[in-house]
Amino acid sequence: MFWNKKERRTISQLDKSVSTKDRIVAWPRMGNIDLSMEALVSNVGAKIVMPPRNSNEALEIGVKNSIEGICLPYKLNLANYIMALEKGANTLMMFQAPGSCRFGNYTKMAQKTLKKMGYEFDMCVFDMYQSKMVQTLKAFWHISHCTNPFCYYKGFSTGFNKAFAIDTAERLMFYTRPRELHKGDAEKCYKKWYKIIHETNSLSGCRKLKKQVIEDFKKIPIDKDRIVPKVYLLGEFFVLLDPYANQEIEKTLGELGVEVQRQIFFSDWLEHVLQPSIFYKKESHRERCVRYAQDYMKRAIGGECIETVGDTVFGARNGIDGIVHIMPFSCMPEIVAQNILPKVSKQEDIPILELVLDEQTGKAGNITRIEAFIDLVKRKKQRKQDS
Amino acid sequence: MISLNENNTKYTIGIPRAISYYGNYPFYYGYFTALGLEIVLSDKTTSKIINEGCKYVVSDTCLPVKVFVGHVLNLLEKGCDTIFVPSLQSSSYKINNCSKIRGLPEIIRNVINRPFRIIDPEINKTEGISFKDFCYDFAHRFEIYDEGFIEKAIKKGWEVYNNYHKMALMGLGFEEALKNAIEGKMITKPIEIVRPLSVVIMAHGYNLYDERVSLRLIKKLEKMGVKSYTSLNITKEDALKAIEDLGEIQYWANELDLTGTAAYYMLRNKVDGIIALSAFGCGPDSLMVEEIQYHAKQRNMPMIHINIDEHTGEAGFVTRIEAFVDMLVRRKRKALEKSEVINLLHTVAERGKITAKAGKQNQIEEEIKI
Repeated sequence: MFWNKKERRTISQLDKSVSTKDRIVAWPRMGNIDLSMEALVSNVGAKIVMPPRNSNEALEIGVKNSIEGICLPYKLNLANYIMALEKGANTLMMFQAPGSCRFGNYTKMAQKTLKKMGYEFDMCVFDMYQSKMVQTLKAFWHISHCTNPFCYYKGFSTGFNKAFAIDTAERLMFYTRPRELHKGDAEKCYKKWYKIIHETNSLSGCRKLKKQVIEDFKKIPIDKDRIVPKVYLLGEFFVLLDPYANQEIEKTLGELGVEVQRQIFFSDWLEHVLQPSIFYKKESHRERCVRYAQDYMKRAIGGECIETVGDTVFGARNGIDGIVHIMPFSCMPEIVAQNILPKVSKQEDIPILELVLDEQTGKAGNITRIEAFIDLVKRKKQRKQDS
Repeated sequence: MISLNENNTKYTIGIPRAISYYGNYPFYYGYFTALGLEIVLSDKTTSKIINEGCKYVVSDTCLPVKVFVGHVLNLLEKGCDTIFVPSLQSSSYKINNCSKIRGLPEIIRNVINRPFRIIDPEINKTEGISFKDFCYDFAHRFEIYDEGFIEKAIKKGWEVYNNYHKMALMGLGFEEALKNAIEGKMITKPIEIVRPLSVVIMAHGYNLYDERVSLRLIKKLEKMGVKSYTSLNITKEDALKAIEDLGEIQYWANELDLTGTAAYYMLRNKVDGIIALSAFGCGPDSLMVEEIQYHAKQRNMPMIHINIDEHTGEAGFVTRIEAFVDMLVRRKRKALEKSEVINLLHTVAERGKITAKAGKQNQIEEEIKI
């Protein structure tokens, strides 16, 4: 019986209604994953349609067509699909991981909703329920029927290198922004590199990207002696990675003179989710979180709950001055984390700001709260240094 | 054999009357008493319990968890300092529970800042922690290590559970079946009152059988002359099969109570309508109800979705149900009238055929005569 179920799941995924030649591929947008996805898909030889970046307009379309109780990421994903289909896409890609939150149901729901709306398409799912690397390769084989292994190698290599480069650029931007002497330098540098990373396509060029990014960021004049409080940005995967969903909170924090450190990056996730565990020797982020969260949580409960709690404890014990915890409204694992964090905050003596994001959150209210929180963090740091 | 605590008395264990109490309590009762533990149950849910629970957790938390926290506090007030908070992670391979139920022991441990002991044995079939491990882990916490004794106790637990399950399948209500199972009685099928209408209620046990939370929905429906079927009335295998027949895949551990039950009755056309009762902010419910709504629409089955939260006013709740039942009555009457008319037409037509046939035969006979 179990075998049958598995079989059915795969059959339903690999729909051959669209012939390989006229496939036009689209995927939901989330932060910078487009860079690596584009490299991958174009290298195996499929046509691409890119839905516009997440915006108010996209959110409105998503809210209109999805059910009331579902979380923000789904609404944005659905809007991306609709906009891509309007632009002529006929193959939608999405990955589905065995998380225990509603994320595993996204593709199923979206498929139904879009069919009800009258679109015809083929949904191609990387089902992480079964295997990781094999499923990913299968999905790419399905959309392209590309037989050349070199294309796959090139796609994966450039895709990975681009992800590492852009994430390095982002990390360096977080470090540089509060310390820069001329306001806006870091932002400019990041935007420049985003463009360069987007345009580089050769294997050797992509390999060098990361080094070049580091060298270029070093050239920005900074004030090294400035006292800069460090803040961890934690929370749900999608809202952390997508600048529209989190209302560019990193920029707001950086401009207030705070160094943001984000623990979840797409490249890290790629590294330990896609790589077989045998090749991954370092202690992964998740393992570290489980170790640090032990006093508060005994087991992972799905989503990024244990990461949030573990990182909070890790930060508190390693000189971080404050935590900003963001989550989409009604996110189940993060609500559990939200319940646990007050105790962590008290016992580890670290201030925590909770921000719940949904389609109605006004930006002004959040900025006021962030400003007040940063004042508190700065004063606390000052007091510590004085004593 | 029975292990005793420092004061040479029996260990007591507090079971909150929430979440896994509904559905699993018969097993817990049989198993725990056979192990020699004394069970303390929290009081039935009242508004006070819910309000107490609300004070301790963040506002976005769903109602069942708030109720659970309230019950734990109630037990602590009663002087019980060992509390059973099972950690139910997954019911079979890669079929997980909702995050809030999975994180229940974690929430309880961190929100209530009072000294007490949590007994949180884990069941996680995704990672190979089976139900047997769950039972053994529980017994080990009370320093009971004799395997034979534990096995016997587990058997006793199943005995009580099976009696309860059998009675529930026959059509006894939750409270009645539970009471009889605990007393060791087995009641055969009660006299069934034929009611003009029947509906299936898709809801979690902890929402539906909690009289304060569901605002006595089943009794209200009974008064209106509506028979309600619930997840108690079908076996888990049937529910699982119904989900497959509907063309869906089970994703949540507690999906059988909702999608499975609704699908079972919907596919067999046994009911006139579906009532979905879910707590506000429940993640899995929002998806499961949507799924059933999609199929109900295709099959032209009326459905109502009622959201409950800690403030649910009874008046508005009753109005909505009354309106739904009225609609069902009207629909049924219409269908009956239609079918009566059709039957009448059929009979007329058949009679016509017979007379026509008879006429033909007469003709043939006459022809032969000639």
